[in-house]
Amino acid sequence: MSKPAILVEDLVKEFDVTHTGYASLKGKLLWWKSKRRERLRAVAGISFSVQPGECVGVVGKNGAGKSTLLGLLARVYKPTSGSMELNGRVAPLLELGAGFHPDLTGIENVFFNGVILGLTRKQVAERLEQIVEFSEIGDYVDAPVRTYSSGMLLRLGFSVAVHVDASILLVDEALAVGDIEFQRKCLRRIAEFQQRGGAILFVSHDMEAVRRAASRVIWMRSGCVEKDGDTEQVLRAYEQSGEHPVGD
Amino acid sequence: MVVRGSPSAVGGTTCAHVLSELKELYRYRELLWTFVVRELRIRYKNSVLGFFWSILNPLVTVLVMTVVFKYVLGVRVPNYSAYLLAAYLPFMFFQLALLDSAQSILSQLPLLKKIYFPREILPIGSVIANFLHFILAMGVFFVYLLFVWWLNPGENPFRATVVALPMLIVFQFCLTLGLALFISALNTFYEDVKYLVSVGLYLLFFLCPILYFVEQVYAAIHAPDMSQAWQGPLFTAYNLNPIAMLLIGYRKLMLDPQPITVTRTGDVIETHNLPLDWGMLGIAGAVSVLVLLFGYAYFNSVKWKFVERP
Repeated sequence: MSKPAILVEDLVKEFDVTHTGYASLKGKLLWWKSKRRERLRAVAGISFSVQPGECVGVVGKNGAGKSTLLGLLARVYKPTSGSMELNGRVAPLLELGAGFHPDLTGIENVFFNGVILGLTRKQVAERLEQIVEFSEIGDYVDAPVRTYSSGMLLRLGFSVAVHVDASILLVDEALAVGDIEFQRKCLRRIAEFQQRGGAILFVSHDMEAVRRAASRVIWMRSGCVEKDGDTEQVLRAYEQSGEHPVGD
Repeated sequence: MVVRGSPSAVGGTTCAHVLSELKELYRYRELLWTFVVRELRIRYKNSVLGFFWSILNPLVTVLVMTVVFKYVLGVRVPNYSAYLLAAYLPFMFFQLALLDSAQSILSQLPLLKKIYFPREILPIGSVIANFLHFILAMGVFFVYLLFVWWLNPGENPFRATVVALPMLIVFQFCLTLGLALFISALNTFYEDVKYLVSVGLYLLFFLCPILYFVEQVYAAIHAPDMSQAWQGPLFTAYNLNPIAMLLIGYRKLMLDPQPITVTRTGDVIETHNLPLDWGMLGIAGAVSVLVLLFGYAYFNSVKWKFVERP
């Protein structure tokens, strides 16, 4: 078997939880009051691997550790223990409020997003036409992003992420936006991306989206992997467990 | 790439570790530059005069100060505006860079929670963006000096020692960057810090020889009614403030010495004209570099904690 795109072993991430809620100088000065510190195990020792070309959906109820897992893979958090191996460039899909600055134009934001995902400015310039065309933003690319609808922002963000030649794409709760036509285009693009050996890990509460896109599903429950395997089997078990409210 | 866990989430401070952090920063230089360009673009995006504001703002301020001090308070110093600008422009860079960078991490927290990049890029970007404004303003300042000289040809427009100015600018850059790294990290955890910083900067403005001359401080400390034993140490203490010492340096390297005359009781007239104290300037430089090293070390030791802020 070839080298896995993602190899995670015994990964643990703990957070400090304070009950006073907010950190401030005041909190520090009243240190004797904040003794009630606890460690929260958001990710409690999980292991799995993702092969190139796989599209893995991650499901689980709120607080199960899905987003923390994605954050760990995006190297936003340092793991508490365990290890992970990432082979190739990782591209998290930047969504509204994170990667975009409202006062800058679409093009300026594309440059910023492209560079933060690891391209050079020159490489972004070379791909600019493709990125804009794929996003279907049209002439709006020269308008400030604050005039965009949330669907347009998502399309632009998705378009940049799939044009940076990443080998691992991390998607958090986003694919469901946009019209049917664009969703189909995204799924096509994702299929292409998989054929070229790209791996995708995506977190979603939308079971239909997971069924359509994922070839494998990981079900997380309080920081651990509850079930990992074939999409249909895992999703059925998940839905039957009653954790996922039906009709959501 | 393999990432291994560590229980503390705190970066090391060994030499090899610092070197690898610097290498990582160099790898992301393109992103740093993009951040700087973005910062510059955003600032004047919706204003008509745009970039000119960064020049216009200090010019108007200095004009008002000159009018007040020359015509209202009766300060008799030829070309007072030049002395004011020579210290005010570097101080503005110091002030704006620190205020901007204090917010730099906190305001980008949503982005930090999504994607990895060396976190120090944010405060460094804020400092560089303000630094570019400063260099531009200094360019305008030299044009102003040449203009004054052309109107009133006499002595040289500026002194030959101006060649040492880059050294001063490097020292100030180190000092500002070191403090920016420290403050931006601290402000992420304790939001009171930015208020402390703005109050501190306001006080510092009056503690530095900007509106007045260092000779006036010297004269005030060496007044006859001051205890002799305190005069030396007090003046040294004043000069130990690195930003004050650097501002003294800017003035004395660029502009002709400005003798200050004071009248004591009993009609004793004293004239003070202090040469630039290179020893104290050296200390200010060394302190600046130390501040940078300390700020960088502190930032690296907490940068992984930013996103875990409770």
